[in-house]
Amino acid sequence: MNQDTPFEESNWVLYKDRPSWRDIEPLSQNDGSSAIVQIAYSEKFRDVFDYFRAVLFKDEKSERSFKLTEDAISLNPSNYTVWYFRRVLLQALKKDLHKELIYVQSIIEDNPKNYQVWHHRQVIVDWLRDTSEEKQLTEAVLKVDPKNYHAWQHRQWVLEEFGIWEGEIEFVEQLLEDDIRNNSAWNHRWFCISRTSSGELMEDVLMKELKYVLDCIKKVPSNESSWNYLHGILEERGLTKYPFIWEFCEELYSEGCRSPYLLAFMVDYLEAKGEESSDNLLSVQRAIEICNALAIQHDKIRAEYWKFMARNLGKKYEASPNCSD
Amino acid sequence: MAASECVELHGRRDDDDEVIFLKDKCIRYFKRCLQVLPERFSSLDVTRLTVAFFAISGLDLLDAIDAIKDEKEKIIEWIYSYQVLPDKIESNRSRCGFRGSSAVGAPPSMGKPENAHPYDSGHIAMTYSALSTLLVLGDDLSRVDKKAIIQGVEALQQPDGSFCPLIDGAEKDMRFIYCAACICYILQDWGEIDKEKIVKFIQKCINYDGGIAQVPGAESHGGSIFCAVAALSLIDQLQTAFSPSQINKLRWWCLKRQDSGFQGRPNKPVDTCYSFWVGASLTLLDYYHFVDTQQNIAFILSTQDDIAGGLAKWPDVVPDPLHTYLGIGGLSLAGKEGVLPIHPGLNISKRAVDHLKHIHNQWGVASNIYS
Repeated sequence: MNQDTPFEESNWVLYKDRPSWRDIEPLSQNDGSSAIVQIAYSEKFRDVFDYFRAVLFKDEKSERSFKLTEDAISLNPSNYTVWYFRRVLLQALKKDLHKELIYVQSIIEDNPKNYQVWHHRQVIVDWLRDTSEEKQLTEAVLKVDPKNYHAWQHRQWVLEEFGIWEGEIEFVEQLLEDDIRNNSAWNHRWFCISRTSSGELMEDVLMKELKYVLDCIKKVPSNESSWNYLHGILEERGLTKYPFIWEFCEELYSEGCRSPYLLAFMVDYLEAKGEESSDNLLSVQRAIEICNALAIQHDKIRAEYWKFMARNLGKKYEASPNCSD
Repeated sequence: MAASECVELHGRRDDDDEVIFLKDKCIRYFKRCLQVLPERFSSLDVTRLTVAFFAISGLDLLDAIDAIKDEKEKIIEWIYSYQVLPDKIESNRSRCGFRGSSAVGAPPSMGKPENAHPYDSGHIAMTYSALSTLLVLGDDLSRVDKKAIIQGVEALQQPDGSFCPLIDGAEKDMRFIYCAACICYILQDWGEIDKEKIVKFIQKCINYDGGIAQVPGAESHGGSIFCAVAALSLIDQLQTAFSPSQINKLRWWCLKRQDSGFQGRPNKPVDTCYSFWVGASLTLLDYYHFVDTQQNIAFILSTQDDIAGGLAKWPDVVPDPLHTYLGIGGLSLAGKEGVLPIHPGLNISKRAVDHLKHIHNQWGVASNIYS
């Protein structure tokens, strides 16, 4: 969005009025006889891009073209051709790429949700093989918007590409301390734990994670993110492997907690228990009761789903050979 | 916020059913988008074609395509003027497709150019938008250089199976897998595209929480899930790409996104566009019947602009073409009266898909997922 007023310098000179550009014939957009979805560009926007199109068509790899890309980017950072041409110029003119990092940082700060600028950043970091600024940059962006998808993606690319994992768990814990419901941070915790383990999670890592996530659930039982994490780390070994998990759930339940995520977890657990042996019919019955409570009271928006789950479990119960015993 | 707390917070008013969908205002909103956008939309300079797609397909979903019948031919000409065709010596084969506007400075395409513009190329999302819009307008795609477009798409597939949007380098992720799948499905030609690698990439994006991310390791996201699920349905591998347990977890992840309307990620606010992205995913995964459509419709309608028309991301926010279109898509999935049924995989009306089927018959090719 380019509302000119706040940015417009009063002494801005249009390119068409600059003596140093007199040799260039501006090139306007050409939609032929039928222009649909036109945009009421400002005079400045039209002027800058008319000259940008002209140097692009000539493929003029010059200092003035390089400067021009900055004006074009400031007016529309989403124009991927401008960014690409800038990269062509960076190489052709052998520009200082460290200076480029400083420039890109300022553009990212103004446009933290722009795909093109983050991609440009990644290319420059890759060319330099220098990651010294990346953690700090992404931290600054995440400070303002802790769920910014681009910043997380960039940080994860840096960590994985360059193998610099130190301090990440502490970073995540700080973010979760600020907002325990920050799902991006939970995802990042998983990313770090899984990417730094070869194969299955080691028992000691798993125990540490279980303790952490159960503490978080205890603090805020209605937080979907932490329950998802619990599910995720138990996946490999199965929900029923550790009796203390069930005891934890029962305790929360007996304290009166009816978070739909607790109840949903209990249903999954009881179902898994029911599948383990035919002696566990009581588990199935309890799961059905919980499904009904979710449908009627605790997760009404998904009532139809919970009724379906209850019916399904009921069918399983009736189909069991032990039923008539 | 726990879902139960939210239900209470957004406690449905009895008069929710009575919120009126201001269809005529949406029609006028889309018609205005096709004319001139105000200056604050300058950042859409390179993607004007996507705005045309939202407006035209939106009019179609509102059963109002006739509102532009006088401009139809002109619009079709305009779209074809953005087709990047191979030059005389075919030096730009890998650059073919559709551009999103005339911003790069290449002249309108009229037959094979003598020399291609050095920086001109198609963009996979624009190629997808162009083909979809042409279908909605009833064009027979006879002027599409199918071979060149498929070669352009082939050139964009990455070693990991994902796609870049354009040959000059840009981020690669799930969005462009969806675009590639739509293009190949519409043209019924998969060229040298490696479908197995697409499936592998999607599997790598499956997360610990059962959702799917934009790239491996990133956070599960409603938009990425739509792109993955719809692409798999278009390459006819939705039933085989996932295990039954993965499918069930994915369904549950999507279903949990409803909290009045839909959110795109856990613990994020609901947003109009996810009524389509997540809603269409649930439809394709055969789980939409568990959605509370009344609350979903009520949320979408709460984002209407009563005066200027259009739908926004959130209530009391200025509407934009994307959210207006996807909000209407969400209403369509929910079976709202006055909105035509949408095809959840191709994201155009089923009527437009019938037209595609007709074209495929003429080409002598047939596919099995028109409905």
